[in-house]
Amino acid sequence: MGNYVDRFNTTDRVLHWVVAIAFFLLLLSGVGLFAHTFFGYFSLFGSPQQGIMVHKWAGIVFFVFSLLLFLRHAAETCRFDADDRRWIAKLGGYLSRKRQEIPQGKFNTGQKLFGIFSGVATLVMGATGLIIWDPTAYSRELTQFSLMLHGLFFTLFMIGMVVHIYLATVGNPGTLEGMLWGQVSKAWAKKHASKWYRKLAKG
Amino acid sequence: MKRKAFLIDTTRCTACRSCQVACKQWNKLDAEATVNRGSYENPPDLTPQLYNQIHFIEQEQGEDLRWLFINRRCMHCADAGCVKVCPSAGALYHTKEGLVAYDQEKCIECHYCVNGCPFDVPRYDDKQKVTKCHACIDRVQNGMSPACVKACPTKTLQFGDRDQLIAAAKAAGKKLYGENDLGGLGVLNVLDDEPGTYQLPKNPAIPASIFFWKDVVKPLGILGFWGAIGVAALHYVTVGPQQIEDADDEQSKGGE
Repeated sequence: MGNYVDRFNTTDRVLHWVVAIAFFLLLLSGVGLFAHTFFGYFSLFGSPQQGIMVHKWAGIVFFVFSLLLFLRHAAETCRFDADDRRWIAKLGGYLSRKRQEIPQGKFNTGQKLFGIFSGVATLVMGATGLIIWDPTAYSRELTQFSLMLHGLFFTLFMIGMVVHIYLATVGNPGTLEGMLWGQVSKAWAKKHASKWYRKLAKG
Repeated sequence: MKRKAFLIDTTRCTACRSCQVACKQWNKLDAEATVNRGSYENPPDLTPQLYNQIHFIEQEQGEDLRWLFINRRCMHCADAGCVKVCPSAGALYHTKEGLVAYDQEKCIECHYCVNGCPFDVPRYDDKQKVTKCHACIDRVQNGMSPACVKACPTKTLQFGDRDQLIAAAKAAGKKLYGENDLGGLGVLNVLDDEPGTYQLPKNPAIPASIFFWKDVVKPLGILGFWGAIGVAALHYVTVGPQQIEDADDEQSKGGE
């Protein structure tokens, strides 16, 4: 055995990147509806009408695949124990350069919370997106409440995504590889997911 | 520029519908086939080809019939729900006279304004573009009154400086609908009964969800996005990344 361990198999990775591509398509095609400042992004799609059409189709893809992604990892992400309390108390050790030992499973507490948030947000975006698919289909109050919720969860998702991308790339060197070709170094696994690594090592 | 407005004294209306016809004539809107529904009201609602409509309220009171008329149209709100929800700047807009006009070239066919309006006014034509009363802005900006006002034989419809119209109506002892609602409507109605009788909302308002969406979520969202990027960058140059150290490579049982 080399210096690397398997972290995400092909299905995991393809699923993740389909969701990621759909997310960025949705972001670019939808942000023009969010604020006048971003209206120019519609030109990427030829016209606002075509942008809205792309947004609707990408929305279906995102909804289905994001839920599949959530369900695929739900057993890991929805289980919490005392180490998660420790992780939260120390904020994952992210606020200090001092090395901190917080034993974590395959996903750390922050990743688990982001996974659960993504599942919930996907449901909210999907439900409200369906209601505003045709903004004249439902009552005035429901339509406008849905537009508001869609915007609110978009901003939460966007902020979550900035944090997710930062921590999965430059913030934690060695992490991205797991999602690119599926393996992480043993050193990474020991540092970030020691409980998971020990289980792997035992076979 | 002083804000312009319509004053509609419904107590003077005889339901002749000159306003409907004059509007169609000036704005080159086609006639539409309708069916007899047992009412003189025709057509029964605003359509993409009908920017203003005399709405009939017919109440049977024993042997008598109470007949009330109201001119339905865009209310040209100062705080206009349609303008607030429109994603395309300039598709729906306030003119310098304070009237709500639109530019079909900029309409992106999203239909948000349909539900954004508290008075159920905007309609979409067969090109899927927004239409509604634009107060004959082309006439107004050339010193003329809107076509409907010009055609009204009973002075039910008046058009002019909003302050003057309000002052004159108040001096005559009339109660106005829409003086202060939604920042002041650009169409002031003198009603003969409660607003509800005319199927007008008693207190027309922009729903709290639109306010929250456009005035809270939107600015906080933009701030939150750049804030998150700023925090990430700050974290990188202060605390720094979680480097994997040589110690991790040793045969230690990590985490214990």
